[in-house]
Amino acid sequence: MNAMAQLEIQARVDNLQNRYMLALDNKDLQAWIATFADRDDASYTCISAENEANGWPIALMLDDCRARLQDRITFVTQIWKGTFQDYRTRHFTQRMSCEQESGNTFRVRSNFVIDYSFDPHPTKVLAAGVYEDLVVIEGEEARFLSKRAVYDTTVLPQYIVYPF
Amino acid sequence: MNIPAVEVADLVWPTDINDIPKQVFVRPDIFERELETIFYGPYWHPVAHVSEIPENGDFKTFDLGRVPLLIARDDDGAVRVFINACAHRGNQVETAPCGNRKHFECPYHRWIYANNGDLKTCPGSDDFSPKFSQEAYGLKQLKTEEVFGLIFVTMSDSPVDFDTWLGRARDTMQHQIGNAAGLKFLGYQKVQYACNWKVYQDNDGYHAPLLHTGFRLLGWQGGGGEQWSTEYGHAGVDSQLKPGKNAGVLKDPSLIDFRDATWDSGSYVCGFFPFVIITKHMDIINVRYAIPRAPDRTEVHYAYFAKADDDSEMERQRVRQASNLTGPCGMISMEDAAIFARVQIGSHSPGVATFQKGVKDLHSLDFEFKQNDEVANIQRWEFYRTIMGFKKEGQQS
Repeated sequence: MNAMAQLEIQARVDNLQNRYMLALDNKDLQAWIATFADRDDASYTCISAENEANGWPIALMLDDCRARLQDRITFVTQIWKGTFQDYRTRHFTQRMSCEQESGNTFRVRSNFVIDYSFDPHPTKVLAAGVYEDLVVIEGEEARFLSKRAVYDTTVLPQYIVYPF
Repeated sequence: MNIPAVEVADLVWPTDINDIPKQVFVRPDIFERELETIFYGPYWHPVAHVSEIPENGDFKTFDLGRVPLLIARDDDGAVRVFINACAHRGNQVETAPCGNRKHFECPYHRWIYANNGDLKTCPGSDDFSPKFSQEAYGLKQLKTEEVFGLIFVTMSDSPVDFDTWLGRARDTMQHQIGNAAGLKFLGYQKVQYACNWKVYQDNDGYHAPLLHTGFRLLGWQGGGGEQWSTEYGHAGVDSQLKPGKNAGVLKDPSLIDFRDATWDSGSYVCGFFPFVIITKHMDIINVRYAIPRAPDRTEVHYAYFAKADDDSEMERQRVRQASNLTGPCGMISMEDAAIFARVQIGSHSPGVATFQKGVKDLHSLDFEFKQNDEVANIQRWEFYRTIMGFKKEGQQS
């Protein structure tokens, strides 16, 4: 892959990551799921680094198919509606690597930090960690085939409503 | 250990058995006294399951109140619980949440302990005091008991009789973690909640059909069941939750399949005094270890298990359910966590919190209740009040 093509790939990957962060910070879960490939095997996992390092499979969120991604939207917008005190998030990412897996599929690794504001408290860090993504680029648009959010803290600071 | 800064004699307990003074949720002096009386007292506390440290040399660290613990399996497979502090100057010996070691080394003066707690080496011991002997300076070991692989520990040298203390709880544990072939550990979800430990433990059955929209949307109204409690403050529920209707809510209803119903079709909750809980809902086997961090902060380690003889498909089912239905982001439990913080904030107001559902007599304990009554909590509160020494209004001694 020549340098120009690589830059174009990176730009599309970064654009995808921005769309992902914007969707979550806006609590727009339809926009969130739109960042995933329209395939039955599209997946999202959020897991602690402790479990990951020890080979323990328990995750905080485990959406291992597109139907589960859709069900997560149902959790947040219907099942939990009116039962929790809401909070606001700001996601920040830094792409660390982007390597071609095969054809139009790329393995992308990014650091992330999520700040959160939970009234009436000052803004704090909700989680930091690494996104390990498999990104597929079709035409002009990149989408996640799979996204794994591996969070560093062993103990989360509070209950979690939205995906990382 | 901390000495209570303020005597608590000014707290007078209401005479009506269903009233709980809100001060007990917020006062720092009461929190300190609870640590001494309950957590460092003559009672038993679940701290690990043997399957969390399955290999020789495996260890896990945990806190009993503020006391650091080191739970280790030695080279011969024996599991012991130690105080995680060097016998020399008290330095914390192990800092990792878990791992595997042949020995534990204190970095301060390089004292090295075997994974059975024995002191192996200590540089410069020729010059140590006359009272030093290597045999006497191993890691401080605590008394333990084990039931279905769950390890209970006590700080006391003369604790209450374990079998008497456990009582009725053992029957429910049999249905939850009593698999003959044992358990396989699947991982943790760990979180802190902004509430007192008793707010967390008070999370009773009464609210379930009201708070949990998920129960209604999924058609999970409770079936027949029995709620129980004991004189030592343990309480639980044995019930037949009827899952699986889905009602068209989920696109992937396989998440709520109940695949191991042939082993036991029930749904079980076993809440130990003071506040470790075991649950088995559908295919989820879950022990919730808990640590009181501060008057308004409680840490919970949700530990999940499969049966050791599960096939890979069954194990995957347990992982999928546990990773989506329970815990700090669980479809049917996240709302509980959200309520904890709000109860804690409200507890700074004067007066009492009160139990209502199922309370028939304001002045006597009742051990008969329905599945969704909140009476079972009252047994625990009465045990708590008694051992904490809080006198009722008008009570002389």
